[in-house]
Amino acid sequence: MQKGNPMTNREKYAAAFQTTLMVEEAKLSNLKYQDVSTWDSVGHMALIAALEATFGIELHIDDIIDFSSYAAGQAILAKYSIRMED
Amino acid sequence: MANLTPARTLDIKQILAYQRNRYPVLFLDKVLELVPCVRATGVKCYTYNEWFFPGHFDDEPNVPGFVQIESLVQTFILTFLCQEEYVGMKTNFVSMNNVKFKRKIVPGDVLRIDAELKSFKRGIAMGCAESSVDGEPACSAEFVVAVPAILDQYKPKP
Repeated sequence: MQKGNPMTNREKYAAAFQTTLMVEEAKLSNLKYQDVSTWDSVGHMALIAALEATFGIELHIDDIIDFSSYAAGQAILAKYSIRMED
Repeated sequence: MANLTPARTLDIKQILAYQRNRYPVLFLDKVLELVPCVRATGVKCYTYNEWFFPGHFDDEPNVPGFVQIESLVQTFILTFLCQEEYVGMKTNFVSMNNVKFKRKIVPGDVLRIDAELKSFKRGIAMGCAESSVDGEPACSAEFVVAVPAILDQYKPKP
């Protein structure tokens, strides 16, 4: 992110993972549920809450259950009109 | 069988029905006021017959800090465990913040606990509680508590 520019959706998405699960950016792209100790059932709820607050949405229970990886989450957010920039 | 209908007060039978702590780690005797999903006011009467007083300490009996915290959180969890769909569920600590001990609690003290539920969503409860003896502040803390049985409903499938 350049100084003075607003964060992109992709940056916001990554930041939620980094802040909530304390995972380095380099490890995010292949990250799956329970790959790290912080992404357990409690961490999952914290992550979902952070994403809902960041993007101003409320995820359906089926989408919360399907949110099993960093990649899967991007596809799920697209259903809520949250699209990641290329 | 205890009445599980939400009530303004809870006796010990109702406390036992709503939550899972039992002797020797139940540190709440009654609830003076319960507003479901909002707040609860509990009471714990400490006598020298408590199991921990001889060890903490034999020459100066006072209530250990972890027991004081349990009194706070056991009152706190009743704010949501009184809801029909959550009755009897077990809870786990996620985090505690701003824990403060302000007064020694000794045999003969009657502890009043005021707990407030700030949010409860998908099995994660956030709130705070503070206790007092004869109007003097004793202990206070902020809590995040999880209900594993609810969290399990939201876990990604393997």
